[in-house]
Amino acid sequence: MDDSRRSFLTRATQGLLGFGFLAGIWPYLRSLFPNVLYEPPLRFKVGAPAQYAEGVTFLDDRRVYIFREGNAFHCVSGVCSHLGCTVKYSPFRQVKELTVRDLSYSSKGEFHCPCHGSKFYDEGTNYAGPAPGPLKWHNLEISPEDGQLMVNMRKDVNRDFRLVV
Amino acid sequence: MKIDTKRGVLKQLLWPWNPDSNLDAGKAIVKNFLLHWFPNRVTLKSLAFGYSMYLGTITFTLFLILTATGVILMFHYTPSIERAYWSIKDIEFAVSFGWFLRRVHRLAAHLMVAMVFLHMLRVFYTSAYKDGKMADSRRSWNWVMGVGMLVLTLLLSFTGYLLPWDQLAFWAITVGTSIAGSVPLVGGAIREFMLGGTIISQNALIRFYVLHVFFLPAVLFGLAFWHMWRIRKDGGLAIVEQVRDEAKEQPPELPARTKTYSILGIAKGVTAQVMDPTVLSEDNSRPASPHLTMRLLNIVLATVLVTVVLSILISAPLEAPANPEVTPNPAKAPWYFLGLQEMVGYSAFVGGVLIPFLVVFGLAVIPFMDHEQKHLGIWLTDESGKKWAGIGLLWGTAFSALSVFLGVSFPAREIFSGIESQLFFEIVNPAILLLLSFVALHFWTLIVTKSQRTAAIATFSAFVISFILLTYVGTALRGPNWMFYWPWEAWPGHAIPY
Repeated sequence: MDDSRRSFLTRATQGLLGFGFLAGIWPYLRSLFPNVLYEPPLRFKVGAPAQYAEGVTFLDDRRVYIFREGNAFHCVSGVCSHLGCTVKYSPFRQVKELTVRDLSYSSKGEFHCPCHGSKFYDEGTNYAGPAPGPLKWHNLEISPEDGQLMVNMRKDVNRDFRLVV
Repeated sequence: MKIDTKRGVLKQLLWPWNPDSNLDAGKAIVKNFLLHWFPNRVTLKSLAFGYSMYLGTITFTLFLILTATGVILMFHYTPSIERAYWSIKDIEFAVSFGWFLRRVHRLAAHLMVAMVFLHMLRVFYTSAYKDGKMADSRRSWNWVMGVGMLVLTLLLSFTGYLLPWDQLAFWAITVGTSIAGSVPLVGGAIREFMLGGTIISQNALIRFYVLHVFFLPAVLFGLAFWHMWRIRKDGGLAIVEQVRDEAKEQPPELPARTKTYSILGIAKGVTAQVMDPTVLSEDNSRPASPHLTMRLLNIVLATVLVTVVLSILISAPLEAPANPEVTPNPAKAPWYFLGLQEMVGYSAFVGGVLIPFLVVFGLAVIPFMDHEQKHLGIWLTDESGKKWAGIGLLWGTAFSALSVFLGVSFPAREIFSGIESQLFFEIVNPAILLLLSFVALHFWTLIVTKSQRTAAIATFSAFVISFILLTYVGTALRGPNWMFYWPWEAWPGHAIPY
């Protein structure tokens, strides 16, 4: 009986010490997870649709590609799905007819990543190199205030997304 | 009178470099704080340069150089994303000898990584990670501590890499932290914790800075002292086991019949202490002061000299200020990570997470896999060890070359273009082939020689040569878009439109 009381008290003390240690260290750890981030917003205006030329425009400060085909707009992320380098758009000399993942379309170029040589079709699908997945498509909308294009990086969309203006 | 006092103080602070007797030599060790962690006598075999090559001493000296130059650089550096790059510019061009301090710091850091690696090779190939027969010897744990310090050294170097806040720094850290992000499930959280946010910005810079200038060096200093103290507790370098065995073979010269005392009173024979063959003799050892202290002084001076001369010859690069909008092409990590980056080029998870984890884990468990306590302190153990080290080198060379060849000529994604499953490409890639070849070599050696030590030698040799070859490929043979170029092929200049 004495023994079991002693072992119980030993364990209780150890448990209390362990709990005290965790409670003591918690403020140190928790403070390292920021509550406020002073980072650029993930939903932002990128100018009036009319100022975009037909084809591809790269917005280097936000690392997104805006595609315009007539009245239809869409936005493809320029961040490589492998390790986050910025992919470069490389236009073809002539238009190619492609079928990628059951989608047939005419392609005018493709994306290349400088870090590890991943390659993507211009609709985002990775076809060479270590990239584990396709480039993201971000949601596009028209700002109700001033009619500017708005990219929403929080909301990803499918390959068939088009914003018709 | 005055001069005498001064001498007295100096005598207390220093020690006789040329002691008159063994007693004087021993007193120096016992009385002087700086020497208190040395043994009284050191075996000739431990002192021999060809045995330890003093690589641990060289590494620690480099660490001291890094601390000295680093503290001065801290007075000049500002860890803010607006000021960091320009404070480095000031160090280079406005501060007197700033360029010199920065070059010494950078060069000593690169040398330290190399020396830690070489020290590990020396300890492995001389079986110095084994406990041996010494009482209370725990060399196996000292090896584990060493693996920990290897990781700390790499982390120190990696955190220091971001601080100049130039293009090289920014993109190396982009690649490095994204590798952490490719850990399944928790990767994103780990990356955000490292960066203190979702992008590399002020939070990331200050985190890396504090880790670099305080946290990691403090832990490394603690471990380094513990590591050196353990060498004493383990009875010295592993070669001492050999000295002990040799002394055992020769029966100690005994006085024919002496009276010795046991606990119960006078007994025949000699006490255990007299029989102990580890007792060092005039033939096999020398007093630590001055024989060890003098050698250490020479090593320290030589290390400082080489670092300084190399620093004058090799300049520290500084590229354009960090620009998150433009990725340089090719974007490369520091040289000691380029072997990993080569494999990251096959698969981020396998090359950046799985293989580094297996390498660190594999190194740490070597002493617990290989319990054979023979030929400690002998380079490559025996004839069989030498033979299998050669086979390991050839094996590692062949499979590294095969991996790079497959990676360059048969990209998995183009061959299996119909497959969309990412898991498939994590399994079918050259890095996994290399890993499996090491496992195969290990078990092949184990079956043929039935010796864990020989299997460890073969696998370790294959790993070392692969590490060196892949680092070379990543450093010298990878150009824009991570394309493969032979050394005699010129990289395309501005012809590529990106």
